Amino acid sequence: MLRSTSRRVNVTFAVLEELSDKRLLVVTGKGGVGKTTLAAALAVQSAREGLRTLVCEVNTKERVSQLLGKPEVGPEVTALDENLWAVNVRPQEAMREYALMRLKFESIYNAVFENRVVRYFLRFIPSLQELVLLGKILFHLREKRPDGRWRFDRIIIDAPATGHAITFFSVPQVILDTVPAGAMSEDATWMRDLLVDPKTTAVVLVSLPEELPVNETLELYAALKSKVKMTAQLVVLNGFIAERFGPEELPESLSPALREVVETHEARAKMSIISRDRLATLGVPVLTVPRLYLEDFNRAAIELIVQRLGAPR
Amino acid sequence: MNPIRDALASSDVLITVGSGGVGKTTVAAALALRAAMEGQGSLVCTIDPARRLANALGLQALGNAETEISAATFAQSGLAPRAPMRAMMLDMKRTWDELIERRAPPDKREKILNNRFYQSLSSALAGSQEYVAMEKLWELRTQRDYPLIVLDTPPTAHALDFLDAPNRILDFLDNDASKWLLTPALAAGKFGLKLFNLGGSYVAKTIARFTGTETLQQLADFMLNISGMNEGFRERAHQTRALLEAETTSFVLVTGPMPERLDEAIYFHTLLQQSKMRVAAIVVNRIHQAVPDALWEEVARLPPSLQQKYQLTLKENDHLARQDARGVAKLREACGNTPLVLVPRFELDVHDLKGLYEASTWLWGDRRLDVAPPGR
Repeated sequence: MLRSTSRRVNVTFAVLEELSDKRLLVVTGKGGVGKTTLAAALAVQSAREGLRTLVCEVNTKERVSQLLGKPEVGPEVTALDENLWAVNVRPQEAMREYALMRLKFESIYNAVFENRVVRYFLRFIPSLQELVLLGKILFHLREKRPDGRWRFDRIIIDAPATGHAITFFSVPQVILDTVPAGAMSEDATWMRDLLVDPKTTAVVLVSLPEELPVNETLELYAALKSKVKMTAQLVVLNGFIAERFGPEELPESLSPALREVVETHEARAKMSIISRDRLATLGVPVLTVPRLYLEDFNRAAIELIVQRLGAPR
Repeated sequence: MNPIRDALASSDVLITVGSGGVGKTTVAAALALRAAMEGQGSLVCTIDPARRLANALGLQALGNAETEISAATFAQSGLAPRAPMRAMMLDMKRTWDELIERRAPPDKREKILNNRFYQSLSSALAGSQEYVAMEKLWELRTQRDYPLIVLDTPPTAHALDFLDAPNRILDFLDNDASKWLLTPALAAGKFGLKLFNLGGSYVAKTIARFTGTETLQQLADFMLNISGMNEGFRERAHQTRALLEAETTSFVLVTGPMPERLDEAIYFHTLLQQSKMRVAAIVVNRIHQAVPDALWEEVARLPPSLQQKYQLTLKENDHLARQDARGVAKLREACGNTPLVLVPRFELDVHDLKGLYEASTWLWGDRRLDVAPPGR
């Protein structure tokens, strides 16, 4: 079960090769495990490889731009760096874009969609809000430049946390089950097909070396597979603590308090290994990112993780 | 006195709120346990407890069953409660179905339960989890006789979902637009008249381009079937709201000290206060404790070959402790009038009653954690 250190390093690179031909990376996990940080790091790395990369946050308090030391981007796709764009998709704007795309004329949009009764209806069409959010993101995945090349070679979604992620990515299927044939169900069909296509899409699960986050990761993996038919292809274990003290490094003379400090550290290290081994049972590569002791999670933290991801340079 | 102990003395409902992953369920269970130990019979109603905590509470499966924790289970942890403690796991889907079965006119029940809009409302509509949690709370409060109910709320991505849930459901059923669509038709005994007319209209045709006409018809059916329940829902939403604002209901906001959690907690606190909810305390969970000076001194006396590793370890701990102290200070400043209750980080997840009791000693003020002001 335990892998040797050298093999783990090899796995690291193999993992990234495995992801390298994927156009859509979905990053998800329990709240507070470092999803956004990882999404930002993957985006930076991808842009450096020369891929035109868009990183999407989903209707949330925006953090990617801040992590990269840039001003807030909001609901418009905005360039952050060479080959790197970001957007925070929000329902109202996405709904408008979606409707305009379908209706072609803004006057019709205003007449129909700004109508009070219609707004009421739209709110209760099941999951329409999620559909337009997801729709906008996936639309960008199909968008082409005038010369026929992709507008974005890769899109990275900083997806909602566990339970919300399942709901979010189930939406196309829910729509197909609920809403009879029509434009919405047509859109839901291609969206679902894109999401479940392992050649296009890879899910990256983020976890922490603690019991509950690991449990949740294992459950999320299973739920994504059974309910959404999406298969995770990489697990990133953040906050990994390596063993530090050998038995000979604990002198008899240590005070109980200092001994406890050491034992606590080693207990966390042990929990890190147990967590990694439990995650490894999923049969997907597990990439560990060491616990970082930084004053602030900013660009410097992102760069450390990019290094860990094995980026060139 | 300790703010949580004070709040429990004058409350019969305590609601733990906060974002996911901060130990909210553990806090809820620890408080219910402690109340029972002190002689206040309690029920803790959890949403999705971690398996080991569920096992500790003797809960094997979902299903809305209130289970008394046996004396034997307590005895295993060396505890003897002075009043009974019960626990339950809330089953969202079942609570919704029960609601419909209880309240819908008999001839409408099956139609509603089988309607596709109902199915997505009860499982997918944002805020519907929060709504049934409120609904269950109301039922427990009015139909049972527990001296204390501790309600653990679903982890909210958006704090508003929770406070807003009763209103949102009302909005769904009692909106001007739905009245406009349905009322005249209902009065005339001809259901869906306006909607039917709408079906031929320009607006409806445009909507139908997105959803298909059939969807509109199904939605109309659903609205009509459920419209008989509006009055009941409205009454209940007002009562639930009143229960939330009652003198005998207290909220405990649970958070962690890390920066990304704090902003949410501060926002949530503001929102609760604006909505006239009584926040008894903010529990700051999993705080790393400061490194005492004596340890640095001891490390300096260690053999040189060991010093580097020991110093690194202390430095890391010190880093975490200071970061948390800054977080606590920030929270104290932003939520000035609400007392903070600080709980240290435990090395293992709480998984038995003994662990819960241990956690409660911090919540109850038997033990206090001192966090030095940052900037040392």
